[in-house]
Order: sequence, then C-alpha cells, then structure tokens
Amino acid sequence: MKNFDLTAILLNGEFGAMLLKGIRLTLEIAAGSWLLAMSLALVLLVVRLTPNVIAQRAVAAYVSYHRNVPTLVQLMLWYFGISSLLPNDVQGWLSEHNGEALFAIIALGLCQAAYFSEDLRSGLRSVPDGQTEAARALGHGYLGAMRFVILPQAVRNAVPALVNHSVSLFKNSSLAMAIGVAELTHAVKEIESQSFRTFETYLIATVLYLVFSLLIMAAGAWLSRRHSITGTR
Amino acid sequence: MTDLYQILRDNWLLLLVGQYPNGPMGGIVCTLLLSVLGIALAFPLSVLMALARLSPWRILRWPTTGLVYVVRGVPLLMVILWVYFLVPVLIGRNVSGFTTMLCTLVIYEGAYLSEVVRAGIQALPRGQLEAARALGNSYLGAMWSVILPQALYNMLPSLLSQFVSAVKETTLGYVINVQELTFAANQINNQLLTKPFHVFFILAVTYYVVCYTLTQLAHALERRVTKKRQGRQDVAPPSQQAANVVAGA
Amino acid sequence: MICFNEINKWYGSYHALIDINAEVKKGEVVVVCGPSGSGKSTLIRTVNRLEEVKSGQLLFDGNDIHAPMTSMTLNRLRSRIGFVFQSFNLFPHLSVLENIMMSPMRVRGVNRTDARAKAQQLLDRVGLSNKAGAYPAQLSGGQQQRVAIARALAMEPPAMLFDEPTSALDPEMVGEVLTVMRGLANDGMTMMCVTHEMNFAREVADQIWFMDAGRILEKATPQAFFNSPQHPRAQRFLSDLRAH
Repeated sequence: MKNFDLTAILLNGEFGAMLLKGIRLTLEIAAGSWLLAMSLALVLLVVRLTPNVIAQRAVAAYVSYHRNVPTLVQLMLWYFGISSLLPNDVQGWLSEHNGEALFAIIALGLCQAAYFSEDLRSGLRSVPDGQTEAARALGHGYLGAMRFVILPQAVRNAVPALVNHSVSLFKNSSLAMAIGVAELTHAVKEIESQSFRTFETYLIATVLYLVFSLLIMAAGAWLSRRHSITGTR
Repeated sequence: MTDLYQILRDNWLLLLVGQYPNGPMGGIVCTLLLSVLGIALAFPLSVLMALARLSPWRILRWPTTGLVYVVRGVPLLMVILWVYFLVPVLIGRNVSGFTTMLCTLVIYEGAYLSEVVRAGIQALPRGQLEAARALGNSYLGAMWSVILPQALYNMLPSLLSQFVSAVKETTLGYVINVQELTFAANQINNQLLTKPFHVFFILAVTYYVVCYTLTQLAHALERRVTKKRQGRQDVAPPSQQAANVVAGA
Repeated sequence: MICFNEINKWYGSYHALIDINAEVKKGEVVVVCGPSGSGKSTLIRTVNRLEEVKSGQLLFDGNDIHAPMTSMTLNRLRSRIGFVFQSFNLFPHLSVLENIMMSPMRVRGVNRTDARAKAQQLLDRVGLSNKAGAYPAQLSGGQQQRVAIARALAMEPPAMLFDEPTSALDPEMVGEVLTVMRGLANDGMTMMCVTHEMNFAREVADQIWFMDAGRILEKATPQAFFNSPQHPRAQRFLSDLRAH
C-alpha cells in the first residue's frame, strides 16, 4: 500500500463533488424507495386482511415474486424491460429527466414493500389471540379492537424486522449502479479509476455505508426503546 | 407468447451453460455452481465464526463480531469491489471473475451464516451443554459431539434459506463479468435488442422457479424438523427460534 | 338472566355441547365444574358468543345472543356481559388505569374525567388503589386478574362470566382474586363461574352444574351436591378431588 493518503481523495475538489453527489443520490434513492415501500406495504396488509380469498392470494403472489426473484433482476426487468413497453415520448422524457433513478426507486420500493408487509403481518400474528378476545368481549368492534389493542402491539413487535429490512433497502441502493445511476458505489468506482487510489476510495465508501447503516439501526433501537411496553425488557 | 417461446428455443443453451465449451461454464449451471460452492465453503467458516462469537475470550469475540457487523452493514457490491481489488494484491496474480465472486460469497454468506449458526446454538436448552460438561467433556468436545449436531440439524431449513439468498446474490457477478445466468440474459438482450421485456421476463421467471422450489423444500424440511421435536410443544419451530435470537441479539 | 335452551354445539363428528338446558336467574351465582374436556369453558364462552352454537337458543337478558345480527348489535350486547379470562388478557401497552378506562370511553362514549374517576373507584374496590399508573407486566398474576375484573366491571354489566379465573395463578394468589369475587357475589351480581375452587363454590354458589362430555349431568345446590351427589360420574369426580 504505497503512500496511503486519504486527503488526496477527500480534499480534492472534483472527487469531493463526485462523492457528495453519490451520497446525495444514494440517500434520495433510499428515502424514496423506503416511503414507497412502507406505504405500499400498509396497503398490501389491509388488502390481505380482507376476507376476499382472491385478494389474499394476489398479495401472497406479489410477496412470493419479490422474494424469489433477485433484486438486480427486478431492477433490470423494470429498467430494460418495462421501459421498452412505454410509449416513445414517455421514454424520451424519462431518459432526459433521470429516469434511471426513478426506475431504481420504483423497483427497490416495490421489492421491499413485499418484505415490509410480511414483517407487519408477522407483527400482527404475534399478538396473542386472547387480546382480540378480550377486546371483543368488552364490546369493541373489529376496527376498534385493531386501533386500540392489536395494532399498537403489532407495530411494536414488527419494529426489529422492519429496521433490518430498512438497512437492506439502504444497501440495495447500490444496485442502482448497474443501471447507470451515479450513486455512491458508482461514484467510488469512478474516482478509483481516475485516481488509482483504490484502497482509500473503497475505505471512504465502506465507512460511509457503515455509518449510515449503523445510524438506521440506532434509530430503530431508539424507537424500540422509546415505545417499549413498560415492564417488559 | 410465441416470442417468448422463440427466444427460449434459440437461446436455451446459452442460458443453461453459457458459452461452454467455447468459454467458461456459464448460465444457470454457473449460478448453481457458485451458490453451492459458496455455501459449502462458507459453512465451516461460519461455524468457526459462531464459536468465536460465543467464546469467553475477547480476543476471539471482538474481531469476529466486528467483521460480522461490517459485512452486514456494507452492500454486497462493495464487498465484491474489495475482494476484486484485494485478492490479486494478496496472492500476487490476477484471478477470474468466478473466483472473485466465490470468495465474496464465502465471506458474505459466512458472516450471515455465522449469525444463523449462533442463533441455532443459543436456541438449544442450556441443559444440553451443562449435561455434556457434567459428564466430563471439554467445552470444544461438548460442542463437537452434543451441541453442534443438534443445532445444525435444527438449522437445516435456515441453511437452505441462506442458499436461496446465495443464488440471488450470484446475480451481482454480472457487474464483474462473471458468466452467470444474468450475464447470459444480458448477452441475449444485447444481441436481440428489440425484445428486452421478453428476455428479462424469462430471466425473472427462471430465478423464480429455482428459488421458489428451494424455498418450498426449506418449508418441507422445517415441518419435518419441527415434527421430530414434537415432544416439546412449548418450543417454537427452529427458524422462529433462530429469528427470535437474532432479533433479540 | 342467562337462559340455555336446547343448546348444541358440534364440529365434524365431535359433539362439544349436548342438549344444554339451564338457567342463571338474576342475582344468582352458578358454578360450573367437571373434569377437563367436559365442555365447561366452551359453554361459558357461548354466552357472549366467543364460541358459536349449532342449534338452540341462548338468551341473555331476553336477547338471543346467537340470532343473526349486525356486528354493532353484537358489540353492544357483549359490552353488557362482563368476561374474565383464565389468562387475564390485560392490554400490555396500556397502564392499569387506561386498561380499565379505555372501553367505557371508546365503546360507551363516557368522557375521560368520568371514566378515570370510575376506574379509580373500581381499583379501590379490588384493592389496588396504588397501582393506577403501573403496567400489566409489572404486576403479579393475582394483581393482573383483579385488574381484569375491574376492567370488566367498568362496563357496568348486569352479569359477569368467569372462565377459570384462578387456574393460571400461583396458589398464594388465588385467595385475593376469590375475595373480590366473593365481594361481588355478596353485592348481588349475577355470576357464572367455571372453576375448580370447590371451597369457593361451597360458600358462594347458589347452584352447581356438573358437566362431563358436553352434558350437564347434575344441577344442585352446593349442600346437595357436595354431601350427596346423585350422578355416578359426579360422585367419582368428588371422590377424586378429595383423594388429594
């Protein structure tokens, strides 16, 4: 490792700008897909709870597809496959306006929605039946029981899994590199090929990813602690 | 529909074995080869790492825990880049994409598997280890003959799940030109150019079939393993136990 | 108050409740006992329709609980039947006071101040005045069950159902719960209890129903039942109980 020098990367104006742009894109993709994933997961959960068997099977199929097909392939299917099915002027508009990032957000968001909805569903199933019985015995309706008794417990139970999958979502943002989005990993490869300082560049990226992952996990732990049920660990 | 059939008919060999024998083994065979070798090699490593994390000596515990946290906190793509860069530096000559991808999988899956193994060991009742020690076994002896056999049997479903993850992870080999299934599909797409949706649809369906089958196998295994422990009806199924321990840790 | 008319429940080939005909009059305390698997829990759970019946009529205060009805009507009926579970089923994410206050507020529309005052009153009645701010996980089993009783009482039901209220408790805590139940009985509450606590039955019950294999085999006053049980199965049950 000849003359290890972090400042050559960090203080260099051009590289610094590329890094910042990469970080910004990574965060944008992560945030965008997280919001999409969470909202869609809630919708999926509600649909799954309806007594309609076809609706339930549809959601199960959705989850099954997104869990068994690799994320990179899903991304490719969206970016190369589905975009080709769009009308030409839409395709033109997309390629001028950062379409890659949009497809990345859609693909990653749809994928993680499957995982989030399963986490929420597990959270629901982990609430003991006795809770529903007690709520119904007191005269609460289905919605009332859900709102005041079941959901508060279900969400708390689901938080650890949700946090884990949020970290996965964040890490998956790096896959966008394969369709040309200039996020952090892409930026790092660019810098590396220009500066030949592979070790330093990779180290910076690794540290950045680690910091963000740990931040997400810490946020999850804080959330868990703050809303933990008093008296339990 | 006929387009799909046409593409499949014309390119099935490429998708199956890549350009072999006119090139390295590719396609699905390469994907499965990578996954199987990756898990097979990662597994002993993961057992060692799990034992290190559970050992009473900080000098073993801390670096291993650190390594696991780092690998879990960094995208797989980053790990690939690191391995791609470091392995030639460490052994002094260039290596093929396949080897790089294999090493990456071993490290990445090793870290994740070590958590599964650790959870499996911790999910066993404490009494097992105590009984083994009381009979005079050493810690490692007890591990080898009593704890690990039981833990590993209970972990089979989770192991299979990780294998499915490995299959999905092989797709990232595409980025470093490993000739696996995704790479083959992209080759086809670059030739055809006019039917990207069909090509990638076939790709998605292929992975779905492979992974779904393996997942169903894992569920069947899980039922079998849970049935074998049926005496203890107060105990959660092994993967749930593992999930509990991992989530709680 | 609670009328069972030809109640039958079966699923597949298993007949859980067979030709149940019985009545709990207003102000009466009925204890249902019998060996495990006899259907006593199933029976009491049909009263507020936590279990369905296949045929027969179950009247609570004149209303047929198992007639087809909107869920709103069922909810309203259920809010008038107090139910205490074997596993307490307190809501862990709410404090003791909130557990008791919540249903009057949300189901009956009672305002917060009144609900809180009533809840505190009920806590005093069950002997837990200083536990208002505690959470269920911080309480012992006996304390949790007493809170569960207070929670059921908060809805001001004309009748209370108890499904093995002390079976999940350590022996030293059984007494505190039975004391509360005894107090309720003395205040004239209509009660139906499934329990193994025979001393409690002897002191407090007006009627004892002995069940086995889905049927009520004997209905008698505690006097009659404990001193001279008629049905051979009941005789065997009592002698088994005395044996240990």
